[in-house]
Amino acid sequence: MARLYIDGDEARFTKKDICLVDMEFYDGRKIEDLEPRRLFPVSGLMKYISLLDLDGKEHAIIRNVDSLMPESKEVILQSLNEYYLIPKITAIVDCSEKYGILKWTVDTDRGRQSLRIRNRFSDIKVLYDGRILVRDSNDNRYEIPDYRKLDKKSLFFLNSEI
Amino acid sequence: MEIETVLTNKEVPENIRAKFEENVEEGDQLLFIIVGDLTLKSKYGVTSLAVTEKKFMVYDPTLEGELEIYNHSDVLEAKVKRMYGNARLNIIFKDGEGKAGEKKDVFRFTYSVATLCDMAALFIENISAGKKLEEEYDVVHATYEKMMNVCPKCGRTLVRQGAECINCQSKSKIAGKLIKYIKPETKVLVICLFLSIVTTAMALVPPYITGTLVDTVLPNKDRDSLMWIVAALFGTYILQFGIGAIRSYMLRISGDRIVASLRNDVYRKSQSLPMKFYDKTSTGSVINRISGDTATLQSFMLRISQEVVVQFFMLIGIVVIMFILNWRLTLLSLIPVPIVVVGAKIFGRKILPFYRKIWRRWAGVSSVLTDTIPCVKVIKSFAGENRTVEKFERYNDEWLKVDISAAKIATAFPQVVSFFVTCGSLLIWSVGGSWVLSGTGGLTTGLLVSFISYASMFYGPVNFFAYLNDSYQQALSAAEKVLDILDAEDEPDFNKGNCPPIKGKIEFRNVNFSFDRTKKVLSDVNLVFQPGEIVGIVGTTGSGKSTLINLFMRFYDNYEGEILVDDVNIRDIDLQYFRSQIGFVQQDPMMFSDTIYNNIAYGKPDAHVEEVIHAAEIANAHEFIARQPDAYDSMLGERGIGLSGGERQRVSIARAVLKNPSLLIFDEATAAVDSETEHLIQEAIERLISGRTTLMIAHRLSTLRKADRIIVVDKGEIIENGSPEELMAMKGKYYKLVQIQTMADQVKKSKEEENFE
Repeated sequence: MARLYIDGDEARFTKKDICLVDMEFYDGRKIEDLEPRRLFPVSGLMKYISLLDLDGKEHAIIRNVDSLMPESKEVILQSLNEYYLIPKITAIVDCSEKYGILKWTVDTDRGRQSLRIRNRFSDIKVLYDGRILVRDSNDNRYEIPDYRKLDKKSLFFLNSEI
Repeated sequence: MEIETVLTNKEVPENIRAKFEENVEEGDQLLFIIVGDLTLKSKYGVTSLAVTEKKFMVYDPTLEGELEIYNHSDVLEAKVKRMYGNARLNIIFKDGEGKAGEKKDVFRFTYSVATLCDMAALFIENISAGKKLEEEYDVVHATYEKMMNVCPKCGRTLVRQGAECINCQSKSKIAGKLIKYIKPETKVLVICLFLSIVTTAMALVPPYITGTLVDTVLPNKDRDSLMWIVAALFGTYILQFGIGAIRSYMLRISGDRIVASLRNDVYRKSQSLPMKFYDKTSTGSVINRISGDTATLQSFMLRISQEVVVQFFMLIGIVVIMFILNWRLTLLSLIPVPIVVVGAKIFGRKILPFYRKIWRRWAGVSSVLTDTIPCVKVIKSFAGENRTVEKFERYNDEWLKVDISAAKIATAFPQVVSFFVTCGSLLIWSVGGSWVLSGTGGLTTGLLVSFISYASMFYGPVNFFAYLNDSYQQALSAAEKVLDILDAEDEPDFNKGNCPPIKGKIEFRNVNFSFDRTKKVLSDVNLVFQPGEIVGIVGTTGSGKSTLINLFMRFYDNYEGEILVDDVNIRDIDLQYFRSQIGFVQQDPMMFSDTIYNNIAYGKPDAHVEEVIHAAEIANAHEFIARQPDAYDSMLGERGIGLSGGERQRVSIARAVLKNPSLLIFDEATAAVDSETEHLIQEAIERLISGRTTLMIAHRLSTLRKADRIIVVDKGEIIENGSPEELMAMKGKYYKLVQIQTMADQVKKSKEEENFE
């Protein structure tokens, strides 16, 4: 069966729940209770969004969220923002290391948080575009969008890890 | 039910606790509180979920009035919805409450409290369903107990309650771990040390004699004394360098033994690490630690045990002699020392991040190597050589860049030190020279020459100690990684020696599992298999079939619930014994670079030749082995090059036959072979399984024709469980799979027949 890709304005999305949306095509077909999920949560935040029903069955893929109508785009983004909690670290306020475990206090777009990093070599991943993905000891994820734009103090703390 | 203390995962802020307590009515009591860190609006902040016998309360600063209260009895369903980096506790209300079927997110949290919230959801649902409070509270208590198995110092999860935290051991303990490797070499090292002191003492003689030459022998034109002194110097040099050569040889041997022993330990440890270690650490980085970092540590251990002592004696010896020769000039020559020492400290601080970076980049290069070299066939078949080379070069260039920036600091520092040292000798020449010229300070030309020689020797040990920090930092970085393996917890095996005979009853009791807490892979699995039963496990890819087997094989031990064999928890059985009782045949069996014979005899190296041949016969492997030019002596490559997939599979079945296991597991053993080979393998399997409890994962349902029972796994849950006939009658998932496959098989068969014709 051919996969259904949504490229632009052929479908409209309305909010159903915190994470759920309804999809309505212009020919009147309607699919309810769909959960948008990123197919590339690391490398493509706005592209290839899978729409799954409550049984986990995929009904369509949005090729690019930016190509949707503004209201639909807003609905999809809200849903994705609720589903994916990857706080963006804006500054590393404090950093200490004891017994090989790094303890960071960071400012994020969701507030201040303290986190522990067990393995500095595998839990801090530097990507080529300057992004850094961080995983804490509880498997929570964080992102530094571009480490080159951090303040001097944060860079000082981060220096040996990148 | 009376409880002693309210269970909490961390300290509950006073104002929140007070809010909860004032809402607990008489006849009710607070049981447990979960302190969370995320509000419903997805912002960080302190939140709490308090559960009493009759209700639960949510404190969230973003709620209107900050507090919401719900009765357990109103709840139809309580589920945790796991998302990415966060989760929600979802409630569906019962009918008749004015909110029938209404769904509500009541509590939001990060994964730090996900396990506790899972437990809370189950508690609420079960209490609402009328289950016994005491029993449910026991589960709550056990979950908290498990959660509290953390080190009070660093918060790290311990392997069991009361276990020593490997991260919180003192530095002296870490040193103690490394000294263990030096200890066996103590005798040789002490001899080397003695020889070093002798050579050091000898090295101090020539400058003094030179002074005498300049002051007495040369001005007096005393040829005899000159010859004697030259001969004495010659003798001293022979002894000094001769002893030096012997010492170097002994040190080399000793060092080799230290590094070999360290490598052995790290390798041995790498074999006993749990699978979850390898899930998070690339094999390239493990190889790097075994090969490179152990050598760095060895060289540092030798430096510490030898050079430090020698250089220290040298330093003291020179300073004493210099003071005896002229104390004022000695003080002058000490001027550059603080600069060198402070500089070394700064240097150490600057260079450590670079060493970490270099290691990180080098691990990247190594992982490209370990990924691509064994897969060279795949790379060539997809014409991916250029891409692979590009990737390697990119990683290698990254390493180069960091190494070059480290080189700037690493090379600039010695030059700065040398500059200050040279300036120090200029100071001695200018001050000492003017004293010789003016005849003051009791200094002669000979003494000045001797002094200058000692002063230049003096900076050797000073430099050594200045750079010691550098090699210390390198060693610390290497030790961090080597000890990461050495100190990692082994696969849990607390019941060594407990080897009960295994008849074959298997039971999964309330088993839940998640690899990294982000997604539950198995949910509430309850199964019982009787001895000798043949059980087929079916389900779509990713449904959790292999995970079920991985847990049973004890590759992962961090699951909730219990798995029992003959009513004994498998965690209570000696791990090696337990695995030795299982014959495990995988979909893609790995072959070692060894003969076919040794590959079959891998699980029983002392097997008699005829046992091996017999095992091969049972596995339908003997015939094709006998057809090979080197028969059982045929060498197999890294992944069994030279054998087809079906042949490798039969060798692996022969391995299992030879082991004569009590339990058998087949993980899609016939998935990758053609129909004819499948028939041969199937025949071999049927011979092998008779009388043994057998778990067979199969995509091809035809493989399961002998199964007494089929279980169907879907999204980590057992959705069907019964005899093939029962499941067919149910017309559920199994029925659908059979229908689909029968059609596919018919198509396949007709295609095969077409090709044959």
